[in-house]
Amino acid sequence: MSTEAESVGREHESKWPGPVVSLSRWLENLGETAFAYLLLTPVFVLLGAIAFYPLLRTLELSLFTGVLGSGEPTFVGLQNYVDLFTGAANPSLPGSVTFLPDVTTSGGFPFVHLEGWVRSTLIVTLLFTLVSVSFETIIGFGQALILDKDFRGRRWVRAAIIIPWAIPLVIQGMIFYLMFHPSTGFLTSYLAPLGLVAETNTLNDPASTFLIITVADIWKTSAFMALLILAGLQSIDRNLYDVAKVAGASPWQQFKLITFPLVLPTLIIAVLFRTINAMRIYGLIDTVSSCTTVPSLSCMVVETFYSSRGLSSAIAFVTAGIVGMIASVVIYQRYKEGF
Amino acid sequence: MATIDGSNDSTESEGGPLARWTKSVIEDQEKRDRLYRALFIVAAGFFLVTTLFPFYWLLVLALTPTSQILTGDWSLPIIGVEFPHPQGFNVYAFVEMFEQVPFHLFMFNSFVLAISTTVIVLAVATLAGYVFGRLEFPGRGVLMLVVLMISYFPPAAFLVPLFDAFLGNAVVIPFLGIELFESPRLVNTPASMVLPFSALFLPLAIFILTTFYAQIPDGLEDAARVEGTTRLGALVRVIMPLSAPGLATAAVLTFITVYNEYFFSSIMALENSPENWSPLLGGILSYQTQYTTEFNLMAAASIVGVLPIVIIVIVAQERIVSGLTAGGLKE
Repeated sequence: MSTEAESVGREHESKWPGPVVSLSRWLENLGETAFAYLLLTPVFVLLGAIAFYPLLRTLELSLFTGVLGSGEPTFVGLQNYVDLFTGAANPSLPGSVTFLPDVTTSGGFPFVHLEGWVRSTLIVTLLFTLVSVSFETIIGFGQALILDKDFRGRRWVRAAIIIPWAIPLVIQGMIFYLMFHPSTGFLTSYLAPLGLVAETNTLNDPASTFLIITVADIWKTSAFMALLILAGLQSIDRNLYDVAKVAGASPWQQFKLITFPLVLPTLIIAVLFRTINAMRIYGLIDTVSSCTTVPSLSCMVVETFYSSRGLSSAIAFVTAGIVGMIASVVIYQRYKEGF
Repeated sequence: MATIDGSNDSTESEGGPLARWTKSVIEDQEKRDRLYRALFIVAAGFFLVTTLFPFYWLLVLALTPTSQILTGDWSLPIIGVEFPHPQGFNVYAFVEMFEQVPFHLFMFNSFVLAISTTVIVLAVATLAGYVFGRLEFPGRGVLMLVVLMISYFPPAAFLVPLFDAFLGNAVVIPFLGIELFESPRLVNTPASMVLPFSALFLPLAIFILTTFYAQIPDGLEDAARVEGTTRLGALVRVIMPLSAPGLATAAVLTFITVYNEYFFSSIMALENSPENWSPLLGGILSYQTQYTTEFNLMAAASIVGVLPIVIIVIVAQERIVSGLTAGGLKE
């Protein structure tokens, strides 16, 4: 029986050269576990080289001094981290501490006393994340509620809402750069009297630029939230609404008692996911203004990786650590739901 | 909308038109439906205007000649409302932008990078999606978590060692100090961008394909196996064709993400020139740095750069929606 099957197999594959046939036979005889791990090799080779190796190496480099690619690095232990958090590293970082200068200077942070650049980059990154994700959630929810309805032209409305999400970061940045540039921006003349942005030199003013970047991000990414929330909305059993209507519930009550609670799990995952992504903010800042005006964590890595590699690695690892903490919440959430 | 409060109010103050209207809305089902409908249209219109207005603004800028832009009075009243609109009709900007900067070469680079990344990602993610979606083996959950974790880290966390290696320096095992090999000098080549893109955008494609492959009934694969097809043969001839929508979804999303990528695109090409494989981003930024007052060209270039994406979104929006929900939520 087995020899017959083998000969049939050989006949079937005879157009292939010998080594291929024996290779495919060897593959077929592998157990399921070995086969699975074999097929996963390319993934983990790629991830190993481009993700795991750099991550570990970043941690190692952050313990040394040194300029990129040259010079003999010396081991300094955690000195780079200490310098970052005490403000001793400020001279190596570009620009000056301009953002929200005196709000929390004297206030002791629960564990470390934050000084200078890291304080302002942390505040910038976290504040940006908080504000943009909150607004994106609210606006995304609104958009999702609209896309959930059936109406003529729904396809086109949906396309219009998705397009900002899909456009390149650099073009998004360019749009908002042009909107607020002193020579072209018409918006400055409307918003400056309201005190929202600085009247002159708008794109070099930290607070104005921060606002512009946050609005730009909300404009682009609300659609992403909308699509995730929409998926949650559409998984709700429509019969529930029929029952509610018969029972005389108003649309607001239907929203409060059916839609919102049922979409909440999806909403939480979407918010965490967006939070992780918002912490990466770099490209938008780089296009609209500059990293010295609105310093984010990723910005600082890019600004320093040529001149002081150890410091840059330390900032990168701090960034990774913060993201890692939020990510572990997400992963725990998924683990609980039976991953 | 507190119904009880509203009706009490309206019985007490019969006179006011607002109260009368409120009362009628509360009592009259048809009127209430009309109100919700109106609110719906207003909200939909608001979202349409806010998402599309910036593109309109690009068009306004592109069509207005530079001299007009610099004297800049945008607020010309239309129907009593101040609203920016093109002052002039200078289509020539779309020709001039190609004369000033070889924008087509930057676009070409973007397409080469996006397509090659998409091919690599699809090939690798198909194998992984098959394994995660259809095989049971010890360590499956842990490995999926590891892949998921990677997709969460910001690109900045990988930058320093990658840039170091791509400059042609030795790759060293972390903490052991053993030099493995000297990497070839990859900066200014497509590889320096395609490699990081492939690794970092791989997880999303893996999760999309895992979801789609897992939905193919076992019976179909078994039937192919009985016919004498190998496991990989069944993957290529049965599972992949049946999951064509999934493959298209992964491809579209990978393409869009690479085309839009900023971080590595701006760093791995050392200068913004097409010879250095600088993609679209380099082209757009060239206008910003070299032709600082040619705002109409910046706008025109942005419009040209956005066109491929607009076409993809209009053609493939079903795929984008299903991909984001499958990959983002992993339900």
